[in-house]
Parts: sequence; structure tokens; C-alpha cells
Amino acid sequence: MRNSEATHVGMEIEASGRGSSGNGTTTLPGLSPLSETLWREKANNAEIIGDVSARLTWKDLTVMVTLSNGETQNVLEGLTGYAEPGTFTALMGPSGSGKSTLLDALSSRLAANAFLSGTILLNGRKEKLSFGTAAYVTQDDNLIGTLTVRETISYSARLRLPDKMPWSDKRALVESTIVAMGLQDCADTVIGNWHLRGISGGEKRRVSIALEILMRPRLLFLDEPTSGLDSASAFFVTQTLRALARDGRTVIASIHQPSSEVFELFDQLYLLSGGKTVYFGQASEAYEFFAQAGFPCPALRNPSDHFLRCINSDFDKVKATLKGSMKLRFEGSDDPLDRITTAEAIRTLIDYYRTSQHSYAAREKVDNISKVKGTVLEAGGSEASFLMQSYTLTKRSFTNMSRDFGYYWLRLVIYIVVTVCIGTIYLNVGTGYNSILARGSCASFVFGFVTFMSIGGFPSFVEDMKVFQRERLNGHYGVTAFVLSNTLSAMPFLILITFLSGTICYFMVRLHPGFWHYLFFVLCLYASVTVVESLMMAIASIVPNFLMGIIIGAGIQGIFMLVSGYFRLPHDIPKPVWRYPMSYISFHFWALQGQYQNDLRGLIFDNQTPDLPKIPGEYILEKVFQIDVNRSKWIDLSVIFSMIVIYRIIFFIMIKINEDVTPWVRGYMARRRMQQKSGTQHIAPDVLTQSPSLRTFVSSHTK
Amino acid sequence: MMNMEIEGGSSGYSGLDRGSFLAWEDLRVVLPNFGKGPTKRLLNGLNGYAEPGRIMAIMGPSGSGKSTLLDALAGRLSKNVVMTGNVLLNGKKKSLGYGGVAYVTQEDVLLGTLTVKETIRYSAQLRLPTRMSKEELNSIVEGTIIEMGLQECADRLIGNWHLRGISGGEKKRLSIGLEILTRPRLLFLDEPTSGLDSASAFFVVQTLRNVARDGRTVISSIHQPSSEVFALFDDLFLLSGGQTVYFGEATMALEFFAEAGFPCPRKRNPSDHFLRCINSDFDIVTATLKGSQRIPDVPNSSDPFMNLATAEIKARLVEKYKRSTYARSAKDRIQELSTDEGFETATQSGSQASWWKQLSTLTRRSFMNMCRDVGYYWLRIIIYIIVSICVGTIYFDVGYSYTSILARGACGAFISGFMTFMSIGGFPSFVEEMKVFYRERLNGYYGVAAYILANFLSSFPFLVAVALTTSTITYNMVKFRPGIMHYVFFTLNIYSCISVIESLMMVVASLVPNFLMGIITGAGVIGIMMMTSGFFRLLSDLPKPVWRYPISYISYGSWAIQGSYKNDLLGLEFDPLIPGDPKLSGDYIITHMLGIELDHSKWWDLAALFIILICYRLLFFTVLKFKERASPLFQTLYAKRTIQQLEKRPSFRKMPSFPSQRHQPLHSLSSQDGLNSPLH
Repeated sequence: MRNSEATHVGMEIEASGRGSSGNGTTTLPGLSPLSETLWREKANNAEIIGDVSARLTWKDLTVMVTLSNGETQNVLEGLTGYAEPGTFTALMGPSGSGKSTLLDALSSRLAANAFLSGTILLNGRKEKLSFGTAAYVTQDDNLIGTLTVRETISYSARLRLPDKMPWSDKRALVESTIVAMGLQDCADTVIGNWHLRGISGGEKRRVSIALEILMRPRLLFLDEPTSGLDSASAFFVTQTLRALARDGRTVIASIHQPSSEVFELFDQLYLLSGGKTVYFGQASEAYEFFAQAGFPCPALRNPSDHFLRCINSDFDKVKATLKGSMKLRFEGSDDPLDRITTAEAIRTLIDYYRTSQHSYAAREKVDNISKVKGTVLEAGGSEASFLMQSYTLTKRSFTNMSRDFGYYWLRLVIYIVVTVCIGTIYLNVGTGYNSILARGSCASFVFGFVTFMSIGGFPSFVEDMKVFQRERLNGHYGVTAFVLSNTLSAMPFLILITFLSGTICYFMVRLHPGFWHYLFFVLCLYASVTVVESLMMAIASIVPNFLMGIIIGAGIQGIFMLVSGYFRLPHDIPKPVWRYPMSYISFHFWALQGQYQNDLRGLIFDNQTPDLPKIPGEYILEKVFQIDVNRSKWIDLSVIFSMIVIYRIIFFIMIKINEDVTPWVRGYMARRRMQQKSGTQHIAPDVLTQSPSLRTFVSSHTK
Repeated sequence: MMNMEIEGGSSGYSGLDRGSFLAWEDLRVVLPNFGKGPTKRLLNGLNGYAEPGRIMAIMGPSGSGKSTLLDALAGRLSKNVVMTGNVLLNGKKKSLGYGGVAYVTQEDVLLGTLTVKETIRYSAQLRLPTRMSKEELNSIVEGTIIEMGLQECADRLIGNWHLRGISGGEKKRLSIGLEILTRPRLLFLDEPTSGLDSASAFFVVQTLRNVARDGRTVISSIHQPSSEVFALFDDLFLLSGGQTVYFGEATMALEFFAEAGFPCPRKRNPSDHFLRCINSDFDIVTATLKGSQRIPDVPNSSDPFMNLATAEIKARLVEKYKRSTYARSAKDRIQELSTDEGFETATQSGSQASWWKQLSTLTRRSFMNMCRDVGYYWLRIIIYIIVSICVGTIYFDVGYSYTSILARGACGAFISGFMTFMSIGGFPSFVEEMKVFYRERLNGYYGVAAYILANFLSSFPFLVAVALTTSTITYNMVKFRPGIMHYVFFTLNIYSCISVIESLMMVVASLVPNFLMGIITGAGVIGIMMMTSGFFRLLSDLPKPVWRYPISYISYGSWAIQGSYKNDLLGLEFDPLIPGDPKLSGDYIITHMLGIELDHSKWWDLAALFIILICYRLLFFTVLKFKERASPLFQTLYAKRTIQQLEKRPSFRKMPSFPSQRHQPLHSLSSQDGLNSPLH
């Protein structure tokens, strides 16, 4: 059985007339040159691989979700089907019919409150598809807008392909992927973001697919790859998917309202309505099936439109409402659907399918396939080392930052403008009596407001996080690599910004002269800006949206500023809450303590009237600003630097919590609720109920 | 057939008996490009007409000019293009300006916090004549709800980014309902089904068909209709690259394509077939697929013209159409319509309601919106309370010691500086409201003045509430100078600060294109004002040239701080720095330590704040007015210049069609969404 399958696929591909690949390696049977590259190494390792294709079967698949009130609802009911290598399976159905749930169930990405029963077998084995075993292309394309198509793909290649693979091979792989996805024409065009005009929606979708097929997965899931695309782009995307399938891959995609041309490209069709199978079999035979069931497709109609029209119960509602407004003027009732409701039609079709030969054939096929224990497919995740991942990510992130005008360049401009303003207002502040307070407020303004403006980079950072979540979901790299690379790539920009603006401010205001004083001032500014940056990152990992992030970030900084010792002197701050934990947590506090010392110590100020004695800086520090003069300013600075580390660790922990703990808690709660409601009902302790958690993490963050 | 239910109550209408015949002859639209590159032809000599009682679909691939045609017919072309040719309404050439025709845009701009019925009722009150009785109005509202099939969701909220509301199809039908409230004879729609699933799309178009059957002329552009939807259209205008591929009855189009040698395959939706034939993007797709050598298994069998480039097919069809009977009969009909003068439809301008009626309706609607939108004011009130408590505990019972002098100053500055800063939090909600304003203004519902005044009135109670809670909490906790008048002054001071920021943000919102820019600009302006307010640097020390002279006088902050210092410190006595010295009096501190002149009373400071407030509102008004007034002016200037250019150069360079800006991001960028709505 298996051999015949393999040769069948092989023949099909040979029939399609493909030559051997450019890098001159022996081709494994059943794999096109596009697919063989990665598996070649394993073959050399003398492992018996044989057929590395993926055969997916599912039998009596039922998915139940618990709602917040403890009620349960069956989203999918007793579905049986299979997907074979070399075929392109389309899941179709009206909105809410469960096609996305089926896709999620098959790719083990169900939300934590969904429970699954039935068997899903991959190559005849029960397998947990964790991050990256199967490629999953989500509906929205979260890509870095400033990179070109080629860069995007080659960075992804470096992130995931093994280190020991030579760069020429990687490049060949990247180029072949670009060609495979038909992206040659736009390979050197940037992807585009809100202020950069880039490639079209269809091209973006193909880039997303290209990223996933880079690791040559045998199994490819796609969630509505054509939604939002015009007919030509949708046709192109589907055509590419079909070509990928013909290379011996198993491709499963949910598709919403395909046009006639797109529909003609499907091999297998899985039609769902209300979580039940309406049809499963060859797409070309569905036409006959509907005719036999008593719903023939009228001439000059797109079959898929007809199928969806028959099984979309929303049409009942539409008709009822139209009748209610007494405006219904349906002309010509040769359509059987005008006589019966779609609810009835759905029932008839489901019953008809259950007893049809398609249903029997499917069950038989599923049994046959699942008898054969095939190859265990390895998780496809990342094969690059941690160092390689960190290096590539840093480089990519740096490229993005240097090209995205809104990320740092805009801020650099704003910082320079603001510091020039400050510089002119406090121009040449001097050592007069009034300059004592002026120096103090200058420092507090610089460390309070100027650092505050780091919030401006938040939107770009949120974009980064989206890309991270997509890539993390597909197992491209680890959290540590991400946090580390982000820190490293931002460093040169922050140094540039703070040194430029710090220098302007220092020399215009003429703060305490001396190189070390200058260095301290700039370092302190750098540290403060980096702390704000890290704080905002930690916030971005928790809050659901952009606005909340800005509000919370501004609120926290406002409180920190209030207790920093400028608005209220340190000794006057009420002890219980504000003084003891808060002012020591506030980085403004440490920055001001350090900068006051840096600026005032050693200076001598005029008194109110010339006849009174001059005031030494130390006296002002102790008596007026109430600064702890026993602590060195360098200690204050090092406290701020340690805060950077702490916030980065918090950021790391937050991501981890969101990934691992939250879904577990949610799943537990859902189970508890269900048990309380249904008493003794048995919950299948299936491994598959433990779904990878990132999906819920992502969905809870984007909803 | 008229809808009895609705027409029964509307005796006061004029011009109902006659429909609108719209005809266009030799319509050309070009996008001039002075000096730089060739001029682009968007529409190329189109002829056509639309009749009452029928619904016309304008179809074509992306970039074929369907939106341009729709805009040209509705008189909404953007300023940078030039139109030549005639558009005749009932045989008369006329320009359809603001509010002349009903136009349903692609996106539904609605206030998310109102219910469907409320939205329709407010809109009716805004536009229907004031003399109409309540019963009449109600019957029109109810009639519209029934006509649009919105009975089931009539009392549901529309929904916004944090409120789950009605579905996309219902929103679209509501938008249509709002436009047909005043019974326009002519209705334009821009892609009413985009983004809807097949059932909702069917419902929307079925509703439109019913609207048309009531004797109205409905013209709609449509992108990739499904089979059911396509079957509902009476007439079809098929465009490709700005040229007519077909114009005539929708059912005859199949025959036309068959005659031209491109019959529609049996298992195919006609509209898919038409677009497949004329969409030149398919050429690119085929070429790229061939390039990647993945063509072998393209299903040749079902595609009779896979070997023919769509550009070629298109050219053949265009030629064929020009010489066809369809084109001839269309020309005859247009001729007939353009000579057939005499029917004067009284096109009412946007609103028939009186100004006062508009004002009161707008105020009520805006107030309702503010009440229900948590993000608009409630969230801010909560934040203000929390921050006030924080400030209150930090400066708790501030006292009269030497250090409390600075503390009092800092506290006053913090309240009038930072806390007002948080008014930015309402910015997203305000931007949403502005969108609604722009749409309604474009349709001529009401005037700019009515809007600004209504906004001021409806926000007044909330701002007072914010100011009162903040001042009461901080005043009592910090124990500022006792006395009722001092408390009143303190409250008024906060109120005026918050209002000024609010008005400032409105001005910013009307100037900047997006949310993020708005926040950055707003924060920047507020930052500069805070710097020059006299707290961070004493007013007397500020460098004179720029900072002291214009800016610190324009800045609300300096007036607010001067007022609050005077209010708080005058008449109090404080401990000196060195115990034993004489006590420091309030006026000594103000003049010597804080560098403020005591030449005017605190009430003058407050008055200055109110003047600034009024100035900002006037500025807001001017900006909105200027934007409206200036654009037609630029348009005429631009057109004149282009016509001169055209005379100089008799022929355009041959250019392929120009993709319209509007439909470029069919799949909207996630980043763009993130900036428009706070959702992401």
C-alpha cells in the first residue's frame, strides 16, 4: 500500500517533468528538488527514511468547547477524513461552520477550553504535533515591513536551518523558495508598513507561505489563505499551493468563498456545516453529489457558491427578514432552495452523505491508511544553534530599526529638538542664586520628560511583538534569543540618541565642567532611556492593545516622577508606601540622586544678596535637595543599570508566563467548570487535549 | 410600486413623483502629472445611463476605474483629477455637490455606542424638516428599519473596539438606511458587499434592489459578486482600464461574451468569468507561474483561453462592444434622455432641519455617546481620582514649614501640568467622533458651528465632574489655603486647564492624519507649554526672545500656575530656612522666590485661561472651515492649470491603466489598523 502510494506520487511528479536540482544531489524518490534538500542529510546519516511524506487521518473527531457559563457545545461532531501527500484539501463551509476549528484540531492548536475526542493519526501513529512539526500559515501576515522579500526569507532561513549547512546551500534554498512561490518579481521590494508602500496583499500572503515552506515540512496547514485577496491574487496563491501539494506535500487549507477559478484547483473538498460533514471526497465529484442529493447546481453558477448557498443557514434568516418587510420579490423559482429552507437542505445533505459511497470510501481509506505505520516525522522547529539565532535576530532587528523611520530616527529628531529647547531655556545657567533651583529642575526635566518620550517607539515595538508571536508559535526561535537580540540591536541607537541629545544639553546649559561629569550625565541619560524602553517592553508583553500600553506606561512613569524627589523632597515623601518601596523602585529617583551630586558637588553658588556668604554645592545637596551625599553617584548609576537587567528579566518571565501558565490555568478552569456542571461526565484524558499553548496566548493578545 | 408604509407619513415631501434619469456622455477623467511623467487616463470616453427602478452594477478588476466612475457621477472626484464630458441629471447638466446625492461609502462610519434605532432617529432629526411631527418622524424611522430588514437588531448597539455589536452586513444596511432617510432619488454605493460573507452580501444587495424598485436609481460598484448577488442586478457596466467592456442589461452580458467568442463555461459564475476575461493581472500570474515552471498541471481543459492573454481578450471585447448593438442603443437612449428636459427634481440640500434643532440633536447624541463610551470620559474620571489620591497622599497635609513652600508650588504645578496631560486619554474616542463628523459633513447634515458648540455643551458636564472630583480630593487632602473662594478658584482653574487641553487636542485631531501623530504632536505642544509655564524655570529667568515673549504668554500653563500660586500662597506665612529668622510672607515668596509679579489679581489669570480656551475653539472652527473652503478653491485652480497643459499637448502618452489608491490594500495592513483603532 505504502509503496504504491509512494510510486504513485513519484510518477506524478515525474510526469510533471521536473529536472533535478541545481546543487547536483541525488534525489529521493517522491520528492522534488525543492523538497529534498533538507532530507538529504538524514539520508546520508544512513537512517532509513524511505517515504517522508505525511498521511493524516482523523476519525470520529468531536470537539467540545466549554463556554464561560459552564455549558458545553459541540463545535465539531464525528468527522472522519484523511489527507494524503500530493493532494490539496480544501475545508469549506459558511462562517461558523467549524472549518477553522477542524484546522486547529488537526494541527493541535486548539484553544485550552476546547476538548477533543476521536483519533488523529499521522502516518498511522498518534503524534503530538508540537510547534513546528507541521507548518501553519495564519490568516494575517505579520511580517517586518522594512525588509525586502528576499531578506525576510533569508533571515528566516538563517534562523532555522542548521548552522553547519553551508551558506551557499542556504542561499540556494532561499532562491528556490522565492521561485517556487513566484516572488521573483518582487524579491527586492520591501514588504511595506503603514508609512512605506510595499508589496501587494497577495504577495504578502505568498511570503508568509514561503517562510513556512522553507523548512520543507511535509504537512502544511493554511487558515483562509485567500481571504482579502482579489481574484487574480487568490488564484495565484491557490495555484502555488497546488504546486506545493504536487511536490509530495500534504496541504490542508480552509477557504472561504472561492471564485470559480480557485475552486477548480482543489483536489479534495471537505464541506462542513454546523460542525457536521456535508461532503468529503474529490472536489470534482461534489457537483454530482449535490445533484444526486436533489440540489443540482444551476447552469452558469460557480459550484462552490451553490454549495455554500445550500448549506448556509444564514440565508433562512435573510429570507425571513425580507419576507417580514414584505419586500420579497424572488423571481423565478426553478431553484429548489426557494421551496425549502436551508436548514432542511442541510439536514437532507448530511443524511445523504452519511449513507453515500463517499462516506464509505472515506472510512475505508482512513482504516487502510491508519494500518500502515509510517515514518515518524521530526519536529521541524529550528535547527539553528542559540548563538546563530541570537546573531541573526540581532542583525534582522538592527536592519529593521535602521530602516523604520518611526522606530528610532523620529525619536532622534524629537530628542534633538527638545534638548535644543531645554538648552536655550537654561542657556548658560551659571552659578547665581536662582540657578540652584534651575539646575535642579533642568535635571528633573531631562530625566523626567525626555525619557518619557521613549514611549514614541511603542507602536513599532508592538509590531515587533506581533512578528515574534507568529514566529514563536511556529517554533522559529526561543524567547531568550529574542529578548537578547532586541536588547543588543537597540543599543547602538540608544547610545546615539542619548549621546547626541546629552551632549547638546550638557554644553548649552553648561552643567558642571569636566569630562567625567559629562560622561556621567550622558551615561545616566542612556541608562534611564534604556530602563524606560525595557519597562515599555514588559508592558507590551502584558497589555492587550496599543492604547492601554501607552496609558499604563505613562501612569507608571508619572508616579515614578512624583516620588523621584523633585516634586516632593525625599525626606518629605510619606514613608509608608511612597517612600519605601516606591521611590526606591523609581529609576527617576536614582537618576536624580546621581545627577544632583554630579552637577552640584564642588560648585559654589552666590547667595541671595552679595553681602551674604557664598553657598557650597554640598550644602545645597544635603539641605535643599536632601540628597544622600554619602553614596557615590556611580552607585546610583549602577542601580539604574541593574534595573535594566531586572526589567528585561521581567519581560522574559512575562512571555513565559503567558505561554505556559495562562493556557494551563484556562484549560484547568474550563475542565473544572465542565465537571461542576455535568457531574460525572468523563473527560477523555487524551494527550491531544493538551494543546500547545501559544495559540491562546496570541489570540488573547490580539482579540 | 411605492412602499405604502413609509410614504404614508411623509406628505411633506416634494419631487417624489419623478425619478432621476442620469446619463453620461464621453466621460473622461485624467490624472495630470505636471512635468513629471505622463498624464494618466483613469476613464476613457464612457457613455451610459441609469434609470429609476433599476439597479446598476459597475464591475471591473481592481484598478479598472470603477470607483473613479462612481465618484465622477456622484460629483465626488478628488481634487487632483480633471473631468471632461457631460453628466446629465434629467437632461440638465448639473454638478452634484455636498449633500446633493446619497452616497454610501465603503467603510461604515457610525457611532458605536448608539443602537441602530437611535442612530436612525438622530439622523432623521438632524435632517428632516423641523416642522415634521414626532409621529411622522417615528413612522419614517420605523419604516426605514423595516425596509432595511433591521427589525431584529434595532435595539442592539452598533459596537466599537471594546463593545461587541451588530454584524458587518447589518452595519452596511444601517449605512444605507441612513442615506435613504431623506428619500433621495439617486443612490450611489461604493462596494457595499466588500468584507461581507455571501449571505450578508445577498441581503444587502436584495435590500438595494428593493430600494430601486421603489422608483429610485441605484448605482453601485461591486467587486467579485457571488452568483446569487450578481443575479440581482438589472444593469451592468463592465470596465477595464478605464474603457467600457460592456454596458447594458446584466442578463445580456453572457450573450455578448459568447458572441465575442468567449462563452462562459457551464460550471462558472458569469461575473467570475467576465472578470477572468478582462483582468490583466492574470497575465502576470500566468507569466510568473510559467517562470517558476510550475505550469504543468494548470487545468487547461476548463480554461478555453488559457493560451490567450487577457490583454488581448480585453482589447477584442472593447472593440467588439464599440461596434455592437448595445453601444448603439445606449447612445440612442442617452440622446433621448439628454433632450428630454423639463423634469426639475427639487434636490434638497443636505439638511432641512433648523439650526437649533441640529444643535440640540447633536448635543443629545454626543452626550449619549460620551455617557456610554467608557473610554471617552469615565475611564478618565477613574484615572483622575486615582492620581488625585496619589497626589493627595504624597502631599498630605502639606503644612507651613520652609520645605512646604516648594512642595506647594510643585503640587500646584503637578496638578495643572501633568494631570491635564492625561486628557490625551480621550483622544481615540474623539478621533472616532471626528470620523463620523467628516462623513456627515460631507453629506451636508449640519454645520461646523453646530458641531463644535454641541461638542462643547455635551462635554461640559463631564469636564466639570472631572475638575470637581480632582479638586475636591486634592484640596482637602493636601489642605491648601482654607476658604470657600479659594476652593472655587482652584476648581475653576483645573476646569479651564482641562478644557484648554481638550480644545488643543481637537485642533490637533483636525490637523494630523492619524492617531499616533496626534498623540506625539499633542504631547510635544503640551511639553513646551509646561516648560515655559514658570515652574521648571522661573518666568523672570526665561530667555526673553522666544520663550518669554510670545510663548509663555500663549501657554496656558503660565497663567494657570500664576493663578494657583497667588490663590494658594497670598496671605499665608511660612517658617524660614534658619529657625529664628522672621517668618516668610506669601507675597514675599511669590515675588522673590517664584519670580511672579503681583501686578494683576488671580482672577485676571483665570480670565486669560478662558480667553485661551475660546481662542482654541475658534481655531478649531477655522481649521475645519478652512479645510472645506480651501479644497474647492484649490480644485478650480488645479483644473484650470491642467486644461492649459492639455491644450499645449494635444495627445497623451499611451499609458496602461492606473490602479486606484483606494483599493490597493485589499488586505488591510495590520499596522494601519493598529493606528486607527486602539484594538491592536
